[in-house]
Amino acid sequence: MSSMREIKNRITATSKTSQITKAMNMVSASKLRKADKQNRAFIPNKERIKSVLEDILATFIDVTHPLLTARETKRTGYILVTSDRGLAGPYNNNVLKAFKAHLAKNHANQEDFIVGTIGYKAFSFCKRNNFPMINSESVNSRDDLEFIDFQIMSRTFIKHYLDHKIDKIVIFYNHYVNTLTQTVETYTLLPISTLVKKKDDQVAEFLFEPSPQEVINQLLPIYLENTLFGIILDAKSSEHAARMTAMKNASDNAEEVITKLNLYYNRARQNAITKELTDIIGGANAVN
Amino acid sequence: MKIIVVTPEGELYNEEVTSVIVSSANNGEYGILTGHLPIVSTIDTGFVRMTFNQLTYYVAIVNGLVQQVHDVITVIAQDAYIGESKESAFENLNQIRKARIESNRQRNLELAMAENELKKQIKQTGAGNI
Repeated sequence: MSSMREIKNRITATSKTSQITKAMNMVSASKLRKADKQNRAFIPNKERIKSVLEDILATFIDVTHPLLTARETKRTGYILVTSDRGLAGPYNNNVLKAFKAHLAKNHANQEDFIVGTIGYKAFSFCKRNNFPMINSESVNSRDDLEFIDFQIMSRTFIKHYLDHKIDKIVIFYNHYVNTLTQTVETYTLLPISTLVKKKDDQVAEFLFEPSPQEVINQLLPIYLENTLFGIILDAKSSEHAARMTAMKNASDNAEEVITKLNLYYNRARQNAITKELTDIIGGANAVN
Repeated sequence: MKIIVVTPEGELYNEEVTSVIVSSANNGEYGILTGHLPIVSTIDTGFVRMTFNQLTYYVAIVNGLVQQVHDVITVIAQDAYIGESKESAFENLNQIRKARIESNRQRNLELAMAENELKKQIKQTGAGNI
């Protein structure tokens, strides 16, 4: 058994660690609340643009756009959404594992796909595996997310799609179900299939400036970026939730370890006392 | 007439106005007064000029949708900054965007440095090997 001093040191170290994990848990909890609020606030914005697009597509049948038509898939673009930093339990690993499994199943050689990453973890993962990448620098996945952060990447993707360099874009991300559950999901960003051409008489009589086709041309990329933004917000909520749970578990484990170590410490202390007593008694006996 | 400017961060502006001029790099300019027919248009980079009596404000807009129904104008933008003149609004926008890109670059640098440092430490200490 280790000496009393060693055990004491380990107890202090573990309790320090548990202090840090507890603080991280609380920080994540408050960040989660904020991210969730932002996520919810963004939904109406997204829906509004979607409804305008649907209105145009329902009223003007002859309006089309290459982003709306599916074609044979030769090369696929992937977007991986992860976090910048670790200590979030299986959060990043789940996405990367799912992506690797998907690649093994669908793509035999590296010419068939290209990856765009959000978050440093995905970036270094792709670099390690030598995947073909669209962004030479990591796209930050910050807590205060802004469009400008990922706009260069999303614009490149859309341009590649319009130039027929890629024929499909799929996003891998963690969907936020609740604080304890986050599931890895895939979302097909392009070609756009979510805009349902509904036959509705309630369509408002709008003037389109300059023309419906122009409005569609300019609004579709905005719609795509908004969708991506929404997904990143969702992933952000998942990240904070995952980190919160991981840190909660770490704090609980630390408590457990401390209790165990305390037991060992007391045993060691008692041993030492017993040893001293036997020494004293032995000494006294020898004198008598 | 009312105008509401919304960005992902929330509502930027929600006030009564007398007239609005929408200007965009791709579509040119047009004005909206009270009683205009419902209209939808987009702005890639441009501005919205709002006049209320004698007061004039400019909002620089990046990638937005302008929708006017029943004298309520809604502008949904990815990025929007308000200013007292066109120049100041755009200057504000450009300044903030530039600072943002710079800080993103800095973050990348820091993360890469931290990763290298960690790799070095792992190599030196032989952590993870029994």
